Amino acid sequence: MLSKRAVFALFRLSPVGLTLLVVGVVFTLLTPTFLTLNNLLNVCTSASVVAIVGLGMTLAIASGNFDLSVGSTAAFAGCITMSLVPQIGVMPAIVSGVLSGGLIGWVNGLIVTELRVPAFIATLGMLTIVRGAALIYTRGRDIYLFGKTEYKMLSSGMTPVLLALALAVLFSVLLGQTRFGRHILATGSNIISARRVGVRTSYVLWGVFAIVGATAALSGLILSAQVLTGNGRLATGLELSAIAVVVLGGTPLTGGKASIPGTLLGSLLVAVINNGLNLLNVSVFYQNVTLGLLLLGALTLEALAAHRTLNRATA
Amino acid sequence: MPESPSVLAVQQLSRRFPGVLALDTVNFDILPGEVHALVGENGAGKSTLISILAGVLQPSAGQVLVDGRPVTFADPLSSQHAGISVIFQEFNLLPHLSVAENVFVTREPRRGPIIDWETMNRNTRHILQTLNLDIDPTTPVSDLAISQQQLVEIARALSVKARVIIMDEPTAALNEREVVRLLEIVRSLAASGVSVIYVSHRLTEVFSVADRITVFRDGRHIQTTRRTDTTEQQVVAAMVGRELVHLKRPSRTPSDIILETKDLVVDGGLVRNVSFSLRRGEVLALAGLMGSGCSELMEGLFGLRRITSGTVSLAGKPLWVQNPRAAIRTGIGLVPEDRKTAGLLPDLSVIQNLTIGALPRLLPSVPGILDLASERRATLNYQLQLNIRFSRPEQRISGLSGGNQQKVILARALAERCRVLLLAEPTRGVDVGAKAEIYTLIDQLVARGIAIILQTSELPELIRLADRCIVFVAGEPRGELSGNQVTQEAVMEVATGLSHQVAVQSKPMEITDAL
Repeated sequence: MLSKRAVFALFRLSPVGLTLLVVGVVFTLLTPTFLTLNNLLNVCTSASVVAIVGLGMTLAIASGNFDLSVGSTAAFAGCITMSLVPQIGVMPAIVSGVLSGGLIGWVNGLIVTELRVPAFIATLGMLTIVRGAALIYTRGRDIYLFGKTEYKMLSSGMTPVLLALALAVLFSVLLGQTRFGRHILATGSNIISARRVGVRTSYVLWGVFAIVGATAALSGLILSAQVLTGNGRLATGLELSAIAVVVLGGTPLTGGKASIPGTLLGSLLVAVINNGLNLLNVSVFYQNVTLGLLLLGALTLEALAAHRTLNRATA
Repeated sequence: MPESPSVLAVQQLSRRFPGVLALDTVNFDILPGEVHALVGENGAGKSTLISILAGVLQPSAGQVLVDGRPVTFADPLSSQHAGISVIFQEFNLLPHLSVAENVFVTREPRRGPIIDWETMNRNTRHILQTLNLDIDPTTPVSDLAISQQQLVEIARALSVKARVIIMDEPTAALNEREVVRLLEIVRSLAASGVSVIYVSHRLTEVFSVADRITVFRDGRHIQTTRRTDTTEQQVVAAMVGRELVHLKRPSRTPSDIILETKDLVVDGGLVRNVSFSLRRGEVLALAGLMGSGCSELMEGLFGLRRITSGTVSLAGKPLWVQNPRAAIRTGIGLVPEDRKTAGLLPDLSVIQNLTIGALPRLLPSVPGILDLASERRATLNYQLQLNIRFSRPEQRISGLSGGNQQKVILARALAERCRVLLLAEPTRGVDVGAKAEIYTLIDQLVARGIAIILQTSELPELIRLADRCIVFVAGEPRGELSGNQVTQEAVMEVATGLSHQVAVQSKPMEITDAL
């Protein structure tokens, strides 16, 4: 058994990690199927879809922004790719799909930096525009992909998990050991200071939003590959789960800081809870309530921690 | 309990935080109509004492007495009811509301449920008159200058009939003239029977206004003396716990010209007719009252404002600085006036703050990847050079004291390998000990051949550091002083338009009133 001190240390180190552990143990005890290889792979796959866009969102939040248009971007990219696969082949279609997401993200960045529209409003606008565009493109119907089973590769087996892990490594290096990453953190921490030390904050934000768009597109591609269907209503609400996993992972919404492992664990936590409640035949509605409560809990803890440091600072 | 004449007193007061004893059995008292200055370095316990008196913090031991009777301030409201008003450094004003609304907030005069605007505005105007402040009570506070906002805070304190007003660093954001005016108000408040606890770093002000001076150090009460019984040197020694060696400006030997401007006009005329040359190993100060254009000229040189016409050249080569990035690349560094809003990256570590402008140089053979080890080494190197105190270089910079933060910002400019350093208010919000260190540091940099343009609102600082001084009035250079001519009196004379003894301009001068 873990000692009290060890539990406390784990909590200090990673509250989300500890929660994940506890929730995992509970579900293992409550259901026979939770701790099976097949089920865990399922959990990891669904965690990966959110994790991929969540990793992009981590960068956006670290830069002091966030992106509400990721769900729409995912749907748009999924539909574009689906219709392109028969014409230009699987790989080129995937690349085009991801690039289309990057382009949408870059436009978000332009609106924020050049038109000076706050990210909340800019990406809220893009949320409806891009969603509408996806529905116009598909005329509201499904695009089915018959025969092209190579596309299924994107969502089968370990592919999503490996993609998420690869992105996590990439972004960790980006934030920790590159100039661009340092500039993202500087911009998020204090944009005025960042400009004064020569950071081209506009370029930084274009880059960040383009990356978020691309990760959103990749998540959308995986979602569409799972069902081999392109649909304009795909990934509705993905923006909220993406922000949720980042926050659960301990990245503060105020910018300047980021936790890549936290985002991965946050995605896993959400996936484990949804999966466990499914196994226990708890209705989807309750799953939503659970996710909301988790978020509130995480933010309360963060607020308490901030309050404590503030109290100390007045010494 | 013996009869105590003091309005407010604390006895054997202690406050413990996890790991720190912020206040250690201190005594402090204030008499009716007295100005009692409280001085001490950062971490001396001044803020803790203020917070306890304001009802924000609770003492761990000891007691607070009002009129000799022990009281407990469970919350800010109970402290206010006891007649104590605190004017914090960061004002507690509601920017979108009017002056009158701010003065009477939560105590609005009403007719039934409806606010009686007429009475509220009239009463406010009346209070403002006693402060010699001629503003319309319906003006939104956000439209006021900082100094006026402060007077609104004082007006609020007067409107609640405060008996003790505590002012925390009240002159931090004021210019010389506003300081003089504030000190007059403090004295007239005292004359009318209000007691003022005046917390400040600036001893000149303290000595011109206080009846008694109390020094705190490391959470302990060191001494309380009548102003007339002590000297600035004694107070400083009590604050830092040792005699500070006040070095004079060393004699310097400037070498070749590094920066030259000719007929510079900044931002379509905010600053005009600026021609000067700056040599390596020299400190040139820009002096002038607020609004004289010094800050704007600094910003122009750093690419934060447009140079409308005229030329700048660096080491003989013409320079076109359009933005800070270009300035840094050509070797011009800036230590900004407002460290918090324009200098610090508060969430980042000491290392990351220090190297942010020097990252291209820290890229090793793997292209694009930062060399974290050499970054750390560079930081530790600067730590030694500049005597910066932090526990680990990975520590967040916001946890450092003001003086150490400022040293990191200085190191940042050095890491950028700047040849010309623009220093704006280099010791603002820095305590006395660190201030002396920063001066020595600046001397060392200059000795190494760095050229410095200094802008400071503290004249003693200017005298201590500058070899030459250009005085600006209303956006134009009005006089240049050098060497022994650089004295407080001479600078003030030119800056206030009383004299323009040493003309830098060949064209005739008109005496314009700067204010």
